[in-house]
Amino acid sequence: MSHDTTTEGTDTASEGADTISRRRLRWERRLAALRNWAGILKADRLGQIGIAILAFFLFVGIFARPITVEFGSAWFQIQPFSLAPHESSARVADESLAPPSREHPLGTTSLGRDVYSQVIIGTRVTLIVGTIAAFMAVFIGANVGIISAYYGGWTEDILMRITDVVYGVPFLPFAIALVFILGASLVNVIAAIVLILWRGTARVVRSQVLSHKQRPYVESARAIGASDFRIMYVQIMPNVLPLITLYAAFAVAWAVIAEASLSFLGLGPPGMISWGEIIYDARSAGALREAWWWVFPAGVCIMLFVMSVFFIGRSLEKVVNPDLRHTQ
Amino acid sequence: MTLLTIDGLQMYYRSDDGYVRAADDINLELESGQTLGLVGESGSGKTTIARSIIRLLPDNAEVIDGSIDFDGTEVTDLSDRELRKQIRWREVSMIPQNAMNGFDPVYTVGQQIVQAIRYHEKETSKREARDRARDLFDELGIEPDRIDDYPHQFSGGMAQRAMIALALCLEPRLILADEPTTALDVVIQDRILQTIKRMQAEIDSAMILITHDISVVSETADRIAVCYGGRIVEQADSATIIKNPRHPYTLGLRNAFPDIGDEDDDLISIPGTPPELVDPGEGCRFAPRCPFAEEECWEETPKPEEYGDGHIVRCHRADEADLLREQATEKATWDGMRDKVRQSISRGED
Amino acid sequence: MGLREYVIRRVFQLILTLWTLVTLLFILFRMVPGDPTSRFVMDYPSDAERQARIEELGLNEPLYIQYIEYMGQLLQGEFGDSAHYRQPVSEIIFPLFLNTIVLMFTALIIAYTVGILFGAAMGWFRGSRFERVGIIATLVARASPEFWIGIILVWIFVFQLGLFPRSGIGGYGGELTMNFVDRYINFDFLRHLILPALTGAIVYLATPALLMRNTMLEVLKADFVEIKQAEGLPERTVLYKHAARNSILPLVTVAAIATGAAMGGSVIIETVFNWPGVGREMVASVSRNDYPVAMAAFLLMGTSVIVMNFVADILYLYLDPRVKYE
Repeated sequence: MSHDTTTEGTDTASEGADTISRRRLRWERRLAALRNWAGILKADRLGQIGIAILAFFLFVGIFARPITVEFGSAWFQIQPFSLAPHESSARVADESLAPPSREHPLGTTSLGRDVYSQVIIGTRVTLIVGTIAAFMAVFIGANVGIISAYYGGWTEDILMRITDVVYGVPFLPFAIALVFILGASLVNVIAAIVLILWRGTARVVRSQVLSHKQRPYVESARAIGASDFRIMYVQIMPNVLPLITLYAAFAVAWAVIAEASLSFLGLGPPGMISWGEIIYDARSAGALREAWWWVFPAGVCIMLFVMSVFFIGRSLEKVVNPDLRHTQ
Repeated sequence: MTLLTIDGLQMYYRSDDGYVRAADDINLELESGQTLGLVGESGSGKTTIARSIIRLLPDNAEVIDGSIDFDGTEVTDLSDRELRKQIRWREVSMIPQNAMNGFDPVYTVGQQIVQAIRYHEKETSKREARDRARDLFDELGIEPDRIDDYPHQFSGGMAQRAMIALALCLEPRLILADEPTTALDVVIQDRILQTIKRMQAEIDSAMILITHDISVVSETADRIAVCYGGRIVEQADSATIIKNPRHPYTLGLRNAFPDIGDEDDDLISIPGTPPELVDPGEGCRFAPRCPFAEEECWEETPKPEEYGDGHIVRCHRADEADLLREQATEKATWDGMRDKVRQSISRGED
Repeated sequence: MGLREYVIRRVFQLILTLWTLVTLLFILFRMVPGDPTSRFVMDYPSDAERQARIEELGLNEPLYIQYIEYMGQLLQGEFGDSAHYRQPVSEIIFPLFLNTIVLMFTALIIAYTVGILFGAAMGWFRGSRFERVGIIATLVARASPEFWIGIILVWIFVFQLGLFPRSGIGGYGGELTMNFVDRYINFDFLRHLILPALTGAIVYLATPALLMRNTMLEVLKADFVEIKQAEGLPERTVLYKHAARNSILPLVTVAAIATGAAMGGSVIIETVFNWPGVGREMVASVSRNDYPVAMAAFLLMGTSVIVMNFVADILYLYLDPRVKYE
């Protein structure tokens, strides 16, 4: 988890011995939280399964095809391995719609493409959209929540009215309209997801910060003249971070489902094969009935991926809300 | 007339590590109209004993042995249905610690009282039931119109009175009051206790008053039974328990609440923690914390013995009570114990 | 603040939110590059007629006037013309919306009935194997996008078993003017309804089931459950009249919100099963640049969401006497 790095950068205090020890204290507190989670995880079979599945997809995503970086005319291959035997759009078989064989473990598409390679490469879009969209949505949501709760007054009024309005926007129709109007691209797909997904985090973080705002440690920080920025991001933020992490986990799940749904409607990022798009292709080719091998692997992957995130979310939930620990 | 006789009751909870002996070899008697104080720290089994009378226990509770005779009816033999219809609330009602949580928040207090009355007295009309609730409110010093209020609209003390109204609406012959005043502030505590006593006398019902605070029962109860580690270690009429206790645990408890002790103003607490009730083994369960424990106490479970008029004590050294009583008022006696406990704990960690 | 003032304030907020949504929609669809009139007015037999219609709709005016005109139109329930259907949008969209409502209500009723009973049972049998398996099953269902569940159901019940029709709404053959009874009260419609409704039910089941279980666990801890048992009330009364009644409170609001969300989430299910509803129509109309229809569909779905959120808040007030109007 990248859990703890976000607030540290904002700590601009001088490197006196005092700050160092306080900084260490903070780090220790966070480490303790992490260890706490590890402890819970030990007894939580579902959480372990979730992490294993997620790690597997991460591995597949990274090693799906070689990764190259270009610098002007030079390019470097920073990741030479390739789990997928073929490019996703390469025509590899003369026979279209071939059932699984030794050569093509998951058969071929109506255009003679290798489904196995497509499923492997499709992991990447899921990972990219899932992490970026979720991270951005939670980033926006957390900030809206903290700022509105901390400042209160008209700032809060405006931000919360905006949140209310976003709650009134139907997710998928909005994404469809936006992607259609702005054009289908990875950026627009992510933008459409982020613009809606931040709302939940904003509300929850706001109510948490409202309760923290009243606590003595904030009072004393204010008394010694700490800036608003420092109180918000150095004092309060770490305390709501577990909750934010939890929402980030669920945001990943919703983002992946949203991306898959958009791709299923044919609105996915063009030029990049994704699991949703594989099913869209199969459906447009009218091959749902005969080519089960074309449809099912991608669907199972989506399900497994989202499930793994849910399982991890559930175990994180027990860290955030200790009351849940005793219930299964 | 004897209303309730508990004889040799063993009530255990099943757990992964074996039986938790929450109530072990319990013998109690209660005359009708009398008040019995059940005193002990949390986990001593006092609540388990009281609740086993109406079988209001978790699923993993199990009666291993013994009998509970309520006015000639063997409660342990009743089916769930019979128990519900004949015993619960009609004969034995209950006042919980926190009345605010004892009411279902989504119905008015009046609705809940009416429901209880009408379930057990099918012939009573809704109107009659309501009138009865109003009368009860009036008698308890609450404005009768407030029966149409929701629980959250009451203050803590008011809610407790409303709870008493609910507990008394069927004029039961036994009331189980489980720390009925602990959640209230001190000023109100006494008044609520008085109210309970007054109403109890009015409908002539018996009461079991469960508390960790021996000073609460010293004035209210006719008899007191002291629980420790799932057993009743000493029982007698209140005056005897207060003036002439024989069990070292009772002596210690008395010290912890100075207003009933003698002239000694020092608060002396009992060192150590309550015993583990899974597989506790032989011996007196208080021995590890007892400043007077001898070889025998560790090896053999003391049997209940009677020392004059219903004064029953479970202690090997009960006949030396005069000596113990004197020593127990000395702080040094318990302080010495404190060191011993500490030693045994640190030894346990090695 | 009293109940009355709260409701009034909330109504005011509702209007504000609706207005913002409408404005947002206006801006969104005016962001489209190119000549907007071509997308908002169909081809008329003559240029003069077309020009007249453009002027009638005010599409030649500056943007702010167009905005006012557009608001005025909406207030009269008019959405403009569909270039594709060559009809006023309102004539097309409302029957489609009715189809969506029928499908989604069926799905939600199944989801919430089964979900509540299932969740209550999971809470009641806490710690059992039944509960553990139940939770995993619910999470798996929730982890599946609607199209995936739809495809699985189609594969099993249509391709393998041949029990139900693949798509569409049944024998009325797209005749939208038929009356309600003829359209919906017949066996053929039911056969077409089952699979899409079941898909929706499976997708929406997780929320009530998990929520019901969690609140049941919370409520069962409360002292009053024990007191009600001590009162001698039958288990059934304690479970349903008291424990479940308390647990159901948060669910009523969630159900209302879910109803709104379902109207907006019908897109995928309707697409999978070719169900002639607003969701599928929206996808189709956007891709054929028939923006008046797309806007109307979007507006109907958004309005459902907002209105149902409002209903949820108000319902909560009446159901839980403890709620204080913030």
